[in-house]
Amino acid sequence: MRDTADILRLENLQVHFPIQGGLFDRVLGRPSGAVRAVDGIDLTIGRGEIVALVGESGSGKTTVGRVITKLAQPTGGNLLFDGRDMSSERGASPLRPYRRRVQMIFQDAYQALNPRHTVFDIVAEPLRSLRLVENDAQLTERVSEALTGAGLNPPGDFFARFPHELSGGQRQRVVIAGALAVKPELIVADEPVSMLDVSIRAQILQVLVDLRDKHNMALLFITHDLPLAWLIADRIAVLYLGKLVEIGSADDITYNPRHPYTVALLNATPQIGGDADRGKLPALQGEVPSAARVPKGCRFHPRCPLAFDRCRQEEPPANEVGPRHMSACWLAK
Amino acid sequence: MTENIVQYSPRGRARAIKGFLRQFLSHGGAQVGLVCLVFFLIVATMPNMLVGPLQTAINATGDFLVPPSGQHLLGTDEVGRDVLNLVVHGARISLTIALLATVISLVVGTTVGMTSGYFGGWVDTWLMRITDFFFVMPSFVLALVITPVVLEVMGRGGDILGFRPSLFVIIVVIGMTSWSFVARIVRSQTLSLKERTFIDRARVVGSSNFGIMVRHILPNLVPQIAANGALVVAGAIYIETSLSFLGLGDPLQPSWGTLLSLAQRAGAASAGAWWYLGAPGVCALTVSLSFVLIGNALDDTFNPRRRAIP
Repeated sequence: MRDTADILRLENLQVHFPIQGGLFDRVLGRPSGAVRAVDGIDLTIGRGEIVALVGESGSGKTTVGRVITKLAQPTGGNLLFDGRDMSSERGASPLRPYRRRVQMIFQDAYQALNPRHTVFDIVAEPLRSLRLVENDAQLTERVSEALTGAGLNPPGDFFARFPHELSGGQRQRVVIAGALAVKPELIVADEPVSMLDVSIRAQILQVLVDLRDKHNMALLFITHDLPLAWLIADRIAVLYLGKLVEIGSADDITYNPRHPYTVALLNATPQIGGDADRGKLPALQGEVPSAARVPKGCRFHPRCPLAFDRCRQEEPPANEVGPRHMSACWLAK
Repeated sequence: MTENIVQYSPRGRARAIKGFLRQFLSHGGAQVGLVCLVFFLIVATMPNMLVGPLQTAINATGDFLVPPSGQHLLGTDEVGRDVLNLVVHGARISLTIALLATVISLVVGTTVGMTSGYFGGWVDTWLMRITDFFFVMPSFVLALVITPVVLEVMGRGGDILGFRPSLFVIIVVIGMTSWSFVARIVRSQTLSLKERTFIDRARVVGSSNFGIMVRHILPNLVPQIAANGALVVAGAIYIETSLSFLGLGDPLQPSWGTLLSLAQRAGAASAGAWWYLGAPGVCALTVSLSFVLIGNALDDTFNPRRRAIP
């Protein structure tokens, strides 16, 4: 029986990029490895739910977003959308029904907009290529509606503008309007505010939250910023080196973290007026290891302050530590 | 369906084009190139109004090899034809051949280069091997070989679109031998463009590969195509002149190269008839140079990073 409450379900999703060895390696028969960008994650997103996917750079969070938006092909596991397996679908026309329901917001709004297209053409592109409108009047109406929804008022003023004539915040709003024009059921937002000034961030986040409230859109919010995730999300999933280490409600993750990595991320967050001594920055030791050489056992153990023998040998399973709260740590019970 | 939609775009587009033109026209090289080019284009469009119909040995108006004078501004040739008359009619032939050959070269080069760069993989490998074949082939030698063969097969009579077959063959030969240069430039630019985020976005919003190539990659290739297209024209004029000089042109529709060839055969150099050799030579040189100047100016205008370098 399929769970109709979940719009998206990732089951043991894997994305491994093969490493092409050199001729020398192949002649010597050295095994060619793989970059395990996403290494088996299970995640569900409910209708109208905002889930934040948090992780450091190199954790594979962007790859997860690219798989969901079908920009990358998974090498294993399932991508179930509304109960249908989408993991092997490809090509523009077979994916058209899927793309009408799943859209994406990109991190760098300037890069995501074709410099030679006007705002109107940019927002109209999905409506045209996904065949969502029948005539020009409808097209103009939907474009205006989307621009207004993304907070660009009055929309007519922006039709003839080029991306370089807009401010950073306006550009991000155009990107949002483009995704919004389709009226999707799920939006994947990959670091939508990380390139923006702090003063603009709140406005853009408000637009995203409004979308959920008004249209019941689900949102996968990909970010490296845990406080931001707490602010916007219903649930937070913490990703480390291609694997989810902790999933729980935003409050559980923030106030009752059950994985040392989550704790470390929270400690690394500077707080204005906090107890921490000024100038003394708590920091995680070391770098994220390369996804081509994932450590044995628990993948966090080389950096974990609490690691013991078992962590170096066996990979911990996802332990249920509370209602809808999971942590992949031997110490979480 | 697009009729009504486009109505919003022109305002923004017109502004962008105006800004571009202002920058382009302030470029010294562009001014010189454009003035020369406009002059030659005007000459080429109405030769009959300027100097009367093309003179032949039958309706020649002057004496043999007369130096420039009030009556014959550029002197006469060995059968008494007015050189000015020949050069003006030659402009039309030379420019048409060069421009049509460039169109062929740009269309083929852009299509091959864009397809190759966008799809990658074995498509890229095979298309680039074909391109390499044309790239290393000395275009000049290929043209020399193909032209007489085709002329033999098709014959020299009749005409295609107002051109005698020999000229038409030259057009096709030049086009086919100069596209590999364009294909390589377009491919390398496509390789960099297709990694840009807006291509990912286009895919997410449901655009097909064809749509992405036409609406996203092609418009961003226009600067490269325009700048290099001008250089291709210059090259085409050079090849056309050389081929005609070697006798592959059509004596009944003489281009500048044909005139040079005739002058050479009439012994103009040893007879001291500088005007006979000089007039078509200077014309070919000026037109080539103005296309190069325009090409460089386009490149500078489109590429802000190059503008700093004088």
